[in-house]
Amino acid sequence: MFLGSFLLHASAFLLSTYVHTFLPAPIEEPVYYVDVVNLPVASPRAGSPTPGKAPGAVAPAAPPEQKAPMALPAKQANKATKVPAPVKPTTQAAPGGKAPAGGDEAAHLSDRLKRLEQNAEAKHEEAALDAIQRRVAAGGRAGMPTGTGTQAGSDYGSYLQSRLRDALAQTIAYQSRRPETAVRLVVDRNGKLVRTVMERSSRDPLFNDAVMRAIEKAKTSFPPPPNGKEFEKLFVFSPEEVSKR
Amino acid sequence: MKRFLLLILVLAIAGMPATLFSQEEFIRVTAPGNKPLTLMVAPPVPMDSAPRDAIAREVTELFQFDLTLAGSFTVTTPTVTENRGIRPGEFSFAPWQNAGATLLIKSGYTVNGSTLILEFRLYDVIRERELLAKRYSGNIKELRRMAHTFSDDLLLIVTGERGPFTGKVAFVSKASGNKELYLMDYDGFNLQRLTQNGSINLNPDFSPSGRELIYTSYKKGNPDLYRRELFTGVEARTSSSRGINVTGSWSPDGKRIALALSKDGNSEIYLINRDGKQPTRLTNNPAIDVSPAWSPDGHQIAFVSDRLGKPQVFVMNADGSSVRRLTIEGAYNVSPRWSPKGDRIAYCRQQGDFQIHSINTDGSGDVQLTSQGSNEHPRWSPDGRFIVFSSTRDGRESIYVMRADGSGQIRVSRGKANDSHPTWSVRW
Repeated sequence: MFLGSFLLHASAFLLSTYVHTFLPAPIEEPVYYVDVVNLPVASPRAGSPTPGKAPGAVAPAAPPEQKAPMALPAKQANKATKVPAPVKPTTQAAPGGKAPAGGDEAAHLSDRLKRLEQNAEAKHEEAALDAIQRRVAAGGRAGMPTGTGTQAGSDYGSYLQSRLRDALAQTIAYQSRRPETAVRLVVDRNGKLVRTVMERSSRDPLFNDAVMRAIEKAKTSFPPPPNGKEFEKLFVFSPEEVSKR
Repeated sequence: MKRFLLLILVLAIAGMPATLFSQEEFIRVTAPGNKPLTLMVAPPVPMDSAPRDAIAREVTELFQFDLTLAGSFTVTTPTVTENRGIRPGEFSFAPWQNAGATLLIKSGYTVNGSTLILEFRLYDVIRERELLAKRYSGNIKELRRMAHTFSDDLLLIVTGERGPFTGKVAFVSKASGNKELYLMDYDGFNLQRLTQNGSINLNPDFSPSGRELIYTSYKKGNPDLYRRELFTGVEARTSSSRGINVTGSWSPDGKRIALALSKDGNSEIYLINRDGKQPTRLTNNPAIDVSPAWSPDGHQIAFVSDRLGKPQVFVMNADGSSVRRLTIEGAYNVSPRWSPKGDRIAYCRQQGDFQIHSINTDGSGDVQLTSQGSNEHPRWSPDGRFIVFSSTRDGRESIYVMRADGSGQIRVSRGKANDSHPTWSVRW
C-alpha cells in the first residue's frame, strides 16, 4: 500500500517536473502584417517580409536597431515608396555657413534627428532588399502562390489566416466567456482543403460551429501552397476581445 | 501493485497529448463581434395530404416566437421561393445561401383525420449539412407541443443546452373573480384552470419533476399549504399550522419543502417533508422571515428578512447556519429566486414601483432588469435562460417573459384579467 502510494506520488512529481522544466510554453507564431503598398519589392505579391520559414529560404538580415523612437509606421509608409540614399549624420554647420546659435539650436537638433531617422529607415529597407535578393540568388520556385515572381520565401500561413479572419468575422457567434477552438487544416498542392480536424473544442457549440462555417466559407479562396507542397497547420480561433495582441 | 503501475502508465499517456500539443506552433485567428445566427423558417409543406394553411402559419409563427426569444438567432421570413422538398437532396442550398441564411428549418405535415404527422429538419446552410431531423405523430391538438419540442431540440443542437419551451407556466389569475391557479404553455397558449375553490390561492411552485404543484390557499379559512398532483388532480393539505403557511419552495431533490410558518408567533423559515411531516425550524429571529428559495445544489437557501429594519435578501445554509446578508442596496428587497445554474439570484426591489434585479450569489453584480411599470415575482425558466414575471406595464397585471439579462421582454399571458405569481416547470 505504502509502496503504491509512494510510486503514485513520485510519478506525479516527476511528470510535473518534466512538464515544467523541459517542455517550453506554447509558442504562438508571430504575425507579420504585410504592407503591400510600400513593400520594397518589385512585385508586392511575390515576396514576404516574414522571416524565411520556407524550406531552403535564407533568413533575412535582422532589421537594424531603431534608434529613433519616433519612427511611426504612418510616417514610414509615406516615405517607403522610394528608397532614399543613406545619409550620413553630419556635425557640420547649418547651410549658409553660419554656426547654429540661440533659437536655431532646436531646429538644428531636429534636423539631425530627422537625418538619423532617415538613415535608420534606409538601412532597414536596404537590409530587406538585400535579403530578397539573396533569396532570388538561391533560386527555386517561391513567392505567393498567385504571384508571378520567382523570389523565394512565402507567408502562406498568414495568407490563410487573413482569409479565415475575414470569414470568421461573418460567422462569429459564441455564448461562453472565452471560447477557443483549435483546428488543424491540411491544404493539398492544388489549394484544396483536404482535411479539417478539430483538435481542441471550445466546449461552446455555438463557437465551434462558427469556426467550422468560417473554414467552409474561407476554403474557396485558398490558393495552392508555395513550392507545390501540401500545407498543414494548426489554427487557433478565438473572439477578438480575448485574443493576445 | 500492478494496478498502481497501470494507473501511472495511464496518467503518463493521458498527459502526453497535451504536452506534445503545447510545443507546436499555431496561428491565431480572431474576429470581432458576436452575431446572432440568421435562421430562416421555410413555410411548412404538405407531404401526403391537402395543404392546410392554418397549420403552416401556426408552425412558422411558433418557431419565430420561440427562437427569437432564445436570443441566439435572427429569425427571418425567407425571400426564397424555392420550396420543393424538405429532405436532403430534394432541394438546393444555393438560394438559401444567397439569401444569407446560416440555419434553415424545413418542415412538412400530413393530416389524416385528427392525426397529425409533423416532420422538421434543421440544416446548416453554409456547410450544406443536416443538423437535426425529427418526426412527431399525434393528435392535431398537439401541434404546438410538437413544434415547441423541436425548438427545444434545436437549442440543444445549436447551443448545447436544451430549451425550456415545452415547460408549463402556472400562475394566479383573477379571470373568475377569485385568485385561482391556472396553467398555460410558456407562450400563453393552452390555458387550463387548476383550482376552482372560489377562495384565494397564491404562490404556486412546481416540484422538480414538474408533476406536482404546491401553493397556499385560504379555502379552509387559514392560509394553508397544499400539494397537488397535476396529472390526477389529487390534492392534499401539506401544512396547516396555526397562522400562515406560505411561500412554499420545493427542494431540488423534491424531498423537502421550505416555507414560512408563523405558528411560533412570528414568521420563520421551516423545512418540512413533502408530506408535511417532521418540521425543522431554520430561522429563529423576532423579525419576519419569509420567501425561502433553494440553491440548485440544495445546500443553501435565500430568504427575506426584516431583521435589520427593512426587508432584505439573506442567504443561509440549508440547516439554518451561516446567515449572511445578500442585498446591500435598496430599502425593500423581496421575492428572491436562485437561478438553476446557481450563479445569480433574481429578486424584486421596491423603488417607487417594484423592479426586478439579479445579483451574483456573493452580493456583487447587481443589475436592474426591468424599468416599465411594476414588476414582481421573478421565476427562472428551468434552463436559466429566461425569467418569467408579472408586470403592470400595460395597465393590468400580466405575465411576461424576458431573457436572463433583461432583454427581449414580452407579454405572454393572453387573458383580460390580472395575472400574477408565475412559475415555470421543467419540460413535460
